[in-house]
Amino acid sequence: MIEGKQKGIKGILEPVLRNLGLTLFAMFALFPLIWMVLCSFKSDAQMYNTVFVFDPTLDNYQAVLVGTDYFKAFFQNLVVAGGAVLVTIIAGVPCAYALARYNFRKKEDVAFQILSFKFAPEIMVILPVFLIFQKIGLYDTYLGLIWVYQLITMPLVIWVVRGYFEDISVEVEQAAQLDGYAWYEIFFKTLVPLIKPGLVSSALLAFIFAWNSFTFPLILSGFKIQTITITALRYIASDTVHYGQVAVASTIAVLPEVIVALFIQKHLVRGLSFGAVKG
Amino acid sequence: MAKIELCNITKKFGDVVALSDVSLTVEDNEFFVLFGPAGAGKTTLLKTIAGAEFPEKGLVKIGGQIVNHVEPKDRNVSMVFENYALYPNLSVYDNIASPMRSRLYRKDEAYIKDAVDRVTKMMKINHLLDRKPSQLSNGQRQRVALGRCLVRDPNVFLMDEPLAHLDAKLRHFMRGELKEMQTSINSTTIYVTHDYMEAMSLADRIAVLNKGKIVQIGTAQEMYYTPCNEFVASLFGEPEINLIPAVMKTEGGTLYLRMLGQEIDLYPEEDTIDELTAAGTGDIHIGLRGNDIRFAFEKPGDDWFEGTVYANEPIGNKVIMTVDTGDCKVALTCPNDTVAKLDQKVYIRPNMKNALYFHGATKEFITRNNKARYTGKKN
Amino acid sequence: MLGKKKKNAEVDYNQVPAHIRRRPYYIIAPGLIILIGIMIPFITAIFLSFTNYSFRMPKWKLVGFKNWINMFKSDSFYHALIVTLKYGLGATAVEMLLGTGVALLLKKDTRYSRILKVLFTFPLMVAPAIAVLIWQLMTSNTVGILEKVLNIFGIYNFPWAASHQTALFTVLVIDAWVNTPFVLLLVLAGIQSLPKSPFEAAAVDGASAWFTFKTLTFPMLKPFMYIALLFRLMAAMQEFGIIYALSKGGPGDTLMNLSLTGYITGFTYQKLATALPYLLVLWLIINKSAKFLVTRQRHLAKQAAGQ
Repeated sequence: MIEGKQKGIKGILEPVLRNLGLTLFAMFALFPLIWMVLCSFKSDAQMYNTVFVFDPTLDNYQAVLVGTDYFKAFFQNLVVAGGAVLVTIIAGVPCAYALARYNFRKKEDVAFQILSFKFAPEIMVILPVFLIFQKIGLYDTYLGLIWVYQLITMPLVIWVVRGYFEDISVEVEQAAQLDGYAWYEIFFKTLVPLIKPGLVSSALLAFIFAWNSFTFPLILSGFKIQTITITALRYIASDTVHYGQVAVASTIAVLPEVIVALFIQKHLVRGLSFGAVKG
Repeated sequence: MAKIELCNITKKFGDVVALSDVSLTVEDNEFFVLFGPAGAGKTTLLKTIAGAEFPEKGLVKIGGQIVNHVEPKDRNVSMVFENYALYPNLSVYDNIASPMRSRLYRKDEAYIKDAVDRVTKMMKINHLLDRKPSQLSNGQRQRVALGRCLVRDPNVFLMDEPLAHLDAKLRHFMRGELKEMQTSINSTTIYVTHDYMEAMSLADRIAVLNKGKIVQIGTAQEMYYTPCNEFVASLFGEPEINLIPAVMKTEGGTLYLRMLGQEIDLYPEEDTIDELTAAGTGDIHIGLRGNDIRFAFEKPGDDWFEGTVYANEPIGNKVIMTVDTGDCKVALTCPNDTVAKLDQKVYIRPNMKNALYFHGATKEFITRNNKARYTGKKN
Repeated sequence: MLGKKKKNAEVDYNQVPAHIRRRPYYIIAPGLIILIGIMIPFITAIFLSFTNYSFRMPKWKLVGFKNWINMFKSDSFYHALIVTLKYGLGATAVEMLLGTGVALLLKKDTRYSRILKVLFTFPLMVAPAIAVLIWQLMTSNTVGILEKVLNIFGIYNFPWAASHQTALFTVLVIDAWVNTPFVLLLVLAGIQSLPKSPFEAAAVDGASAWFTFKTLTFPMLKPFMYIALLFRLMAAMQEFGIIYALSKGGPGDTLMNLSLTGYITGFTYQKLATALPYLLVLWLIINKSAKFLVTRQRHLAKQAAGQ
């Protein structure tokens, strides 16, 4: 009797408390993004005296996108992050394959070394790179940035894709060999289609991380190449802050990432944990 | 089709020796079965022939040519893998067509269609052509794997437990198909199984493997009637052969055996006595198959062993009765109408004409009655 | 020697042909070259820390351990070390607790929780620098919504990043906003991988919710939480973007952790050789903790898998 009663109270209370907790966290996680979008449509005057009710305007978007270098930074960021991911795929996927399939001396050491790049303090790596890049003319160039970005993109893709390769049974490869295919044919025709979900999702995640990079472009890019993270900061650093423009700059920086995130939901955990957790 | 030779093959995985000094020759057009318990090295042996594993020692020859340095794709062998190894992203049709689309073994699409049609009909999977492997049952996957193997005309077919995941009826049917195909297209086949009935019904010759070594090579008949040691004897036959410790003595020029702790003298056949004496031990294990032991519920005579019924399992066309004789348990086959109560008294008598004699210490085969009949020309 | 080689020129069939044996090295080479190319500066860094190199002066010479000794003598080093630990441990602790808690709330599969799972990944995608901008919009005393909310409770002009008392709190809020979803996702993946049967058995045995959590759920989630901990701690200890974008380490030296001290000394003041020991110490801390945690994690994963 008593037990039944307890269950009854618990049964009602539990979902209420759970949903309350979730809603509170949802507000913390999502409200800043909503507020950002709201602010992007507010005129400077309305910014100060309105909260949720205001006349939306596109002035801020015009101010940020027309006649400034924000659009250029957006495009250049795309080139750098995209280029970095491309290089990573070309050089890193074979690397991941070799680490998954072949047994060679020092294999695990190599794999851990690659992972440890992820844990190296960015500032420490980048200061000497700055010195060297200035000497060899890679400072403030696409090539230089794309190269340094490999520190972000390559360990991620190698570790995630390696896991996907390991998931394929060796026998499938052996069967393809016996069917008369050469190793490169097997790689492209049999294996690549099988790792495609992992490859695409880790590449997209790597793209996001590259897109977000702040430290590298802060030090290694000058006037020629600008990335969105660096350029956006200028909107807050100026003397008279146009909060509406800050909001627009942020919205535009966040937008591609949110879209990409929606695409890779299923593989996100595996990518974020470098393949350690198979979500 | 080609002759396959392995000369002194040794293969290790780290410290584990998978194959140790294995030599064997599979003749052209032979159906050769590799038989042994799990972990014996059967799969490794197949993969060594296929080129998927590289031997540390020894030579692999296909059609008289050393192929150690020939890459798998150039060896022209066809294999069914134990875990099927189907391409998950391709349909059943494309899986089976795959070997005919590679640069080495390319055929035109019309030919491919005919060939796929032929094998899928034989495998009874022609209604599944558009499915992906993930949409198939294990039995169906296995037949697709078998189809992909059989669709070609290679030097040798390598089959790793190709019927293991089929239900009993289908397995029986497929066994017939394979045998039929073997005789009609003259193929060299090396076939791995752990099912002794499959081995005996299919094989021209059988090689028994244990712990990476070849224990015995011979026909099914040789394996069954003259196994080279107790291990081989226990692999073939259901119920498992009874290996009963016995004491051999010679008194007044007569050689006799006693077993099961009972005072009954057993006299081996005339033609076995010389070899039994030559064995130089009194410690003999007598191998008796279930159908070589007679039984009765009423004591027929003083030379019958006494025991009680320990278990009684009907298995369709016969009943396997386990008799507890105090010292050890003896399994024998009875007609399927045998009715026995547990712990009921039962009397048994071995048929010494079919007894196999093993050395008690080394477990090696010593002799049996009429040995030459079973081994053919071999000593 | 040569003659002997010639004699053995017949093919050794038990030696894997060289072109096959070397194949993995060929395949792995491009990736490694690119990464090692980046690592050369790292070795340079160790070397330069023993010189008086400065971006301002082209001339430099070896000075031995001078930079290292100076660093260990200076207060700014110990301050930076403490800030690094405070930030690293603080951010990680908040995110682990909050992330695990919310993940457990999301355990029950409802439509609401399924939508939230997707939405909660959004902040994780935001660049740290952009996250700072977004939170400037929230915390600004003139346009920010938080000021208006606090006004309701009678708090006016909450200083946020401008005061040394609340600056750390502010960066932690931003860090937690960005990175809590990371912990959340990993723990959630762990929850979804939990086997059903032990829980059913516990329910049949009438185990209490707390007992089930303590003896079943938590031990099985531990490996997942360890991975989250590893990644978060390593990143939070070297956090640069959020702090730099928010206050450049200020006000004063409130938020000057090792990364920022290294950057400001090496890049802004251009005294590279002086800055490098700070960064090398940071690297040492991170590398050692990573090694420790990776070993622990493997051990735990094995344990969870039943040895």
